[in-house]
Amino acid sequence: MNYKNKLLMNAIGAALLSSASTVQAANWLMLQGTEAPGQSARAKVWGFIQAQYQHDNSDANAGGGYNPPKLIGPNLDDQSAFNVNRARIGVRGTGFPLDSKVNYFILAEFGNNGITYGDDGKHLTDASITLNHIPGARIRAGLFKTPGAEEGLQAIHVFDYINFTTVTNQLLLERFPNSTCDGASPSAGPCVQTTTDLNNAASPTPDADMNQFSRSVGAFRDVGIQVFDTFKAGTWENSYAIMYGNGNGLNYGDNDSNKDLYLYLSTENVFGGKGGRREGLKMFAWHQDGKRTNAVNRTQEQDRTRSGLGFKYLQRPFRASAEYMQGKGMIFQGQHRPQHLFNDLEAKGYYVEGGWYIPNTKWEIDLRYDSYTRDENFKQPPTSPATPSAPGDESTFDTTTVGAQYHFNKKTRMNVEYSMRDAKSDTTAIDNNVKGINDRFAIQVTHVF
Amino acid sequence: MKNILSVLLLLIAAISSYQIQAAEEDKPFAEERIVLQISDPNPFKQTLVLNVANNLIKAYGQDKVDVEIVAFGPGLRLMFKENVNSGRIQGLTDSGVKFSACENTIKGMSKKLGHAPELNSNAVPVSAGVVRIIELQNQGFKLIKP
Repeated sequence: MNYKNKLLMNAIGAALLSSASTVQAANWLMLQGTEAPGQSARAKVWGFIQAQYQHDNSDANAGGGYNPPKLIGPNLDDQSAFNVNRARIGVRGTGFPLDSKVNYFILAEFGNNGITYGDDGKHLTDASITLNHIPGARIRAGLFKTPGAEEGLQAIHVFDYINFTTVTNQLLLERFPNSTCDGASPSAGPCVQTTTDLNNAASPTPDADMNQFSRSVGAFRDVGIQVFDTFKAGTWENSYAIMYGNGNGLNYGDNDSNKDLYLYLSTENVFGGKGGRREGLKMFAWHQDGKRTNAVNRTQEQDRTRSGLGFKYLQRPFRASAEYMQGKGMIFQGQHRPQHLFNDLEAKGYYVEGGWYIPNTKWEIDLRYDSYTRDENFKQPPTSPATPSAPGDESTFDTTTVGAQYHFNKKTRMNVEYSMRDAKSDTTAIDNNVKGINDRFAIQVTHVF
Repeated sequence: MKNILSVLLLLIAAISSYQIQAAEEDKPFAEERIVLQISDPNPFKQTLVLNVANNLIKAYGQDKVDVEIVAFGPGLRLMFKENVNSGRIQGLTDSGVKFSACENTIKGMSKKLGHAPELNSNAVPVSAGVVRIIELQNQGFKLIKP
């Protein structure tokens, strides 16, 4: 058989044996959950380091005390700090390279942030296996980012700012209170400890010690199972994800029998490029629904829902994105008030941001505005203002951030940002604390390897 | 004995001449003949070998260079049907680049997988990748291992 005949036979055979084609899309679901078919490494070592300095210009309250927004996290001791806030190393690939239908992703955090604070400075953030056997329904199981808001779902090493928006930080970055119920004897029935006040009043610096949570933040992750995929239609990519998880953040196990449901849809007109900075116009919507058990009163349960929609546009030299988010239940009341977290309140917020890559330079300029309304339309009953578990009335947080990025190369960049912040509350005691929130300066170097 | 030897030499010369002629028939105006070897598991090598083939076509012109990519060992993954570079392989095939897949490697991978790997429709199985490279070198091809 000559070369041309062999070619013809091979082509006919391939056509007869053809199956549903796979789409290697460059979106977060696919970038984090899959590998390039036929090409991925058995074990690709990768990671990134972020070193930063932040300085907060906020004023103390009348008593000389500071609350968390006026201090540098995760320690919340003082108003200026150098920090290695992220230092992650991981391995990903296809353990058996001949079979592209199975891939894995594992990543650990060694930096100092909400993930590792109080956890000996290290924590596994991702450990997942993806099965790509069913066309249109890939299955990912383990610990990984939940399908949701762009700020949380995106790879943090390509995030265009240093600090999250207030709405993402307070509404979506879930906190898990310490529980004095840990180790309580189950034979005595569900643990109820309402007398212990774990909350903290605004404190003077240095050593304000306002972080009253020693468990890892949720880091937009959960342990569970996800069905997802992406479908191409011309230049458009349409993606979906359905996840079912513990609703217990980075904790490997579950602390109750309740599970969280996560839904995600996106459609993107891809202009070109690949990876985390692929150019395109993406529109997305998401919803999360779960239930939480009170950490200090395990007879109580509370619904927790979050939802949002937004878009992201990137075509150099311009970038623009916006997102609206809302939530009900388990509305975060501050890093110093863990016992206020168990509530049925509502909150909403949004951000609008844009960037401009200065042509023929390595500079990029960024501008972002974000707004967050906490405890929306809530007014405390006059009979319970002093109850430790009672939250505050409606509060608003508005921030304008001006930033710049200098790209040394594709893997190394420096962020500089200056945030002008304004906050107020209908509760006098809270308003006295938040009205002194002022500007914050931050500079950070990121290197990906 | 001398006659037999002479006949053998003539036969070899005739076969070689036929092979060269056959190669020239595919690309009669080719000024350069290049065989590219891919036998490495490194994913970047897959991209690299395709880039090199593309650069050769761009530099010489489609009719002035004859390029064949021979894959064997771990490098055969480049010619898997599911490979993410299948679009580029089709594009290079349209530009006249040939792709050869080692049958020995296919057999070995079939044992490990429990079934034969599905190959790109543009990949043509050859009995042994390394033998194919030697054959091509005998036909005047230059071997490049990116």
